Amino acid sequence: MKIGIPRALLYHYYGVFWEEFFKELGHEVIVSPHSNKEIVDTGIKSAVPEICVPIKIFLGHLKYLIYEKNVDYAFVPRMISIHKGEIFCPKFMGLPDLVKNGSPEISDRILTTYIESKTENISNYKNYISLSDKLNANEEDIKRASRKANIKWLEFRRNTLRGIPADKAAEMVKKNTVYKKNNSNNIKIAVVGYVYNVYDPFLSMDILDKLHDLNVDYMTFEMLDNKTIFSQISHLKKRLFWTFSNKLLGAGYYSLKNHNIDGLIHLTAFGCGPDSFLGKLFEIESDIRQKPFMTIRIDEHTGENHLQTRIEAFVDMLKRKKEKESA
Amino acid sequence: MSNKVSFPYLGHVIVYKKFLQMMGFEVIMPPAPTQKTIDLGVKYSPEFACIPFKMLMGNYIEACELGANTIISSGGHGPCRAGFYGEVHQRILRQMGYDVNFIIFDSPKRDLFGTIKKFFKIKNKQSISKMVKVSKVVFPVLKDLDTFEKKIHTMIPYEINKGQSLEVWREIYKIYDEVYSQKELLEARAEGHRMIDSIKLRKVNDDEKIKIGIVGEIFVVIEPSINMDVENLLCSLGCEAERSLYLSEWVEHNIFGEKHEKTIQDLGEKYIEILIGGHAKTTVGNIVDFKNRGFDGIIHLMPFGCLPELVSQSVIPKITSDHDIPVLTLSIDEQTGKSNNLTRIEAFIDLIRNKKTKEKVFSGGKK
Repeated sequence: MKIGIPRALLYHYYGVFWEEFFKELGHEVIVSPHSNKEIVDTGIKSAVPEICVPIKIFLGHLKYLIYEKNVDYAFVPRMISIHKGEIFCPKFMGLPDLVKNGSPEISDRILTTYIESKTENISNYKNYISLSDKLNANEEDIKRASRKANIKWLEFRRNTLRGIPADKAAEMVKKNTVYKKNNSNNIKIAVVGYVYNVYDPFLSMDILDKLHDLNVDYMTFEMLDNKTIFSQISHLKKRLFWTFSNKLLGAGYYSLKNHNIDGLIHLTAFGCGPDSFLGKLFEIESDIRQKPFMTIRIDEHTGENHLQTRIEAFVDMLKRKKEKESA
Repeated sequence: MSNKVSFPYLGHVIVYKKFLQMMGFEVIMPPAPTQKTIDLGVKYSPEFACIPFKMLMGNYIEACELGANTIISSGGHGPCRAGFYGEVHQRILRQMGYDVNFIIFDSPKRDLFGTIKKFFKIKNKQSISKMVKVSKVVFPVLKDLDTFEKKIHTMIPYEINKGQSLEVWREIYKIYDEVYSQKELLEARAEGHRMIDSIKLRKVNDDEKIKIGIVGEIFVVIEPSINMDVENLLCSLGCEAERSLYLSEWVEHNIFGEKHEKTIQDLGEKYIEILIGGHAKTTVGNIVDFKNRGFDGIIHLMPFGCLPELVSQSVIPKITSDHDIPVLTLSIDEQTGKSNNLTRIEAFIDLIRNKKTKEKVFSGGKK
């Protein structure tokens, strides 16, 4: 069977796992290409206008897989929780509902399952057992496949913790390539944003590469281990409800405190609900810590120049600040 | 320092005032929201926060200006943003220089000890029996007000003396504002019923009535100052209007564990499988429920960018075609210009009216 995985939303974090999982069960896996204008346009047409871009893009990828690649099933997981006591944004929890009822004509080609876990390791086979009928697999197969997939995913996570950005880290696992990370005395910027924004070249307009070209080192949240992240927000009376938002919050607080990091860029999608609060929390904290902070809000527009200008200006400012301080 | 207590402006505010006053607090009544409230809220809130957040922000700032130093509100357990309002509001108010405490009631499941501590703060050194006694007055007041309001909105379209029903409603509200004991409650109730019965109505056949249900996120559904007073608007266009949410029902569901909302949610299960926070599943269930009860159309209200309601908005086309019920979604933000939405609502009602007439003609007037 041909199984399609949309290159959107949490594919950028769990893609390594899901790809390996379906391959191990003997299916052909087709991942949609990087977002392009066509995919995005399809997505925009399929969604209600107000919803955030990442969801629109997801729908675009989904339709691409079904109509262009003729996959038998496309995988749309219902993400519920990957941390004890925390859940996902409502749009993730209702994603299959949104897809099935929003586009009823493709509802029988959707492969969906509840993913619920106490930690971010989602390899428990029980999460996938409901797929066994559609995938023609028995319990043993599912167990074996999730075990194998987990090995790959853990390798991916080890790579990211070594400071390799998630897209490169996934490539290393899949293709056995090597990624050289250069250590330098450049200025370092923390880019805080969800994986599906940062690693979607269409949305983020390759912000990480742009920084790289400017001789800037960068850090993203998946390069920090969970312990470091959660120790940053343990003093909060009430944490956010959304796991990835909490991770961003922890990573943001960490970089605002850490002297090796010169500035913080918050990359957020237009209309992102959790980020509206997150951004305010960063704003307040950056005031206290006296650290440069910039919000970049992205949407389906494609004009790239303004982004280039803003990043260059931000970087120039940080460089001058650093020179002044060291002089 | 004595506690000067205030609270969110939502729905029948006299009820919260009454409860806190009777528990012996000094209450700062938040001013009714105006354009200034919205402007203040928008100015100090994150740009993409939803409209309830911004309204409450303005609301709290105005209350703080009047000297409030404690704000009581309800929390939540996500994943809707509303559960985190208090935390952010407090930080923003502190940054603005107001020294204000928040008492936010979360689900006891999340923080049992904290809830008990907050309960004692609310108890304000009064006895438990006093609290029970107070609740026994305050809750029926809330329930009565909701019942009367519901009733009024089925009468306005047919009243003979234009404006009489609303006049009566304002009178009733005033009477209930003075209720502080069981005896006064009973008197007020009798008086309320008498006044309602005195309203003269045109006789209208049932098949000529147009009934519109209002569903959506609790804040924009309940608070008239932000939803263009949509109920009365609908009434003025000659329709009966009923909301899916009344505060007394919310209290019954969340505090007394009443089952009505659960059955509504079950109706929505086909479209949204699990609770995804906010009122999404209830919204969807209510649309089906209204249809089953013979309503002619639904107005779906949501704050711009509301996370759960965006999911319900996405599934509504399916419900409309499954159940043959027209739904108009209006997304509400700080733009207060009415005419845009007014035009859409008028057009919507015209469509429904035409549809009804057509059905009647084609069924040979038998229906």
